[in-house]
Amino acid sequence: MTFGAVTATLMTGMAVTLKLFFLTLLIALPLGLVVCLGTMSPFAPLRWLVKTVVWIVRGSPLMIQIMVIFYGPGLLFGWPLLPRFTAALVAFSVNYACYFAEIYRGGIQSIPAGQQEAGLVLGMTKSQIFFKVTLLQVIKRIVPPMGNEFITLVKDTSLVRVISVYELIWMGETYIRKGLIWPLFYTAVFYLIASGILTLWLGWFEKKLDYFQ
Amino acid sequence: MAILEVNNIEKHFGATKVLEDISFSLAEGKALAIIGSSGSGKTTLLRCLNFLETPDQGTISVRGEVLFDAKVHTALNEEAIRQKRLHFGLVFQSFNLFPQYTALENVTLAVRLREKDKAQWPAIDKRGMELLDRMGLADRAGHYPHQLSGGQQQRVAIARALALSPDVLCFDEPTSALDPELTGEVLKVIRSLAQQNTTMIIVTHEMAFARDVADEVIFMDGGLIVEQGPAQEVIEHPKEERTKQFLSRYQEN
Repeated sequence: MTFGAVTATLMTGMAVTLKLFFLTLLIALPLGLVVCLGTMSPFAPLRWLVKTVVWIVRGSPLMIQIMVIFYGPGLLFGWPLLPRFTAALVAFSVNYACYFAEIYRGGIQSIPAGQQEAGLVLGMTKSQIFFKVTLLQVIKRIVPPMGNEFITLVKDTSLVRVISVYELIWMGETYIRKGLIWPLFYTAVFYLIASGILTLWLGWFEKKLDYFQ
Repeated sequence: MAILEVNNIEKHFGATKVLEDISFSLAEGKALAIIGSSGSGKTTLLRCLNFLETPDQGTISVRGEVLFDAKVHTALNEEAIRQKRLHFGLVFQSFNLFPQYTALENVTLAVRLREKDKAQWPAIDKRGMELLDRMGLADRAGHYPHQLSGGQQQRVAIARALALSPDVLCFDEPTSALDPELTGEVLKVIRSLAQQNTTMIIVTHEMAFARDVADEVIFMDGGLIVEQGPAQEVIEHPKEERTKQFLSRYQEN
């Protein structure tokens, strides 16, 4: 088995992994904000409903959620199966949105009430205050915990193997059956490179926001 | 004619009565100092004027227009309150500048957001620069709040409040977070505003400043107005026993 052939195989797995990673972020980042606003809603029934959903999603294994979303609709209602990748993407997006929501909430609540009050007495609307005053301060504060989540997400993508989505580790594992261990180490290198790039990018982003305190 | 009329304001936090039967008026161009110990309700009163707190009783009128009436207030929506609070400006004890904006941007942000026509923005910036210049901060326009001293930050905050041309400018202990050296520069700015006949309400612990700069003084204790009158008279010759007690402690220091 040549190095080039292994690289090519792992690359196809990497493409699936990266596609899942970026699409999950694309959906979960804004969805998390919606969930976050739900958990902070002044309307108690909504707040408790959203908090219960967050509890279930954060409190049960992501692997089960992936299986439930893929097999559940068919077994419960006789609906056709979702495409495997779509099912995985739905599970990841909802799961990460709930984690992001809690990070957003922590960030929003760490902004002193004086910022909101200063905006109010200057006649700004609540949404102007949120987008023009609060949001960037929140983003600055949540970069480190969000960085954790991003790196966890890269590695969590390997869970989709339970519904046979051929991501990176699946590809690496095929070589074990052929009696080779080094492609598995090589697979780990792919993850290391991905998380290394993420770490550098997050550091750069943090520096970009260094101009204010 | 009085620019501001406050009648029978009452405010509770739960079972605690923090303001009781507060009535006073203020003539245009005059400065009113509110003095009293911590917890006497001074700050709550300012917050009521700026619609950050909602009184349980009473009315607030500016230039004869009733802005707040506890009896009908529940019917008001957020937008109506937003327009009404523009009659007042508020300078906070802790400045509350927006950290991600420069001094000039802090001053102009709210004005720009009210102006749909972007062609007007250069004029808004120009006026922002004039205000910073009046505060002695023309050379700090491009600095971010964390690059400024406390006294400079508070002067930016004053310029920011003035940018919306409020009828009444309120100060909530504007120098309490500053060391004595920086206190002077902020008081000097407020003094010059008084000389230009800016209508102001100043909650302060600086008695000498209140005496020299304010036209009127209100002494509050336990949520009540205990004594009010011309500044010099109240501070130098208080009539009420409670006022004498409070002021004598300042003279000891």
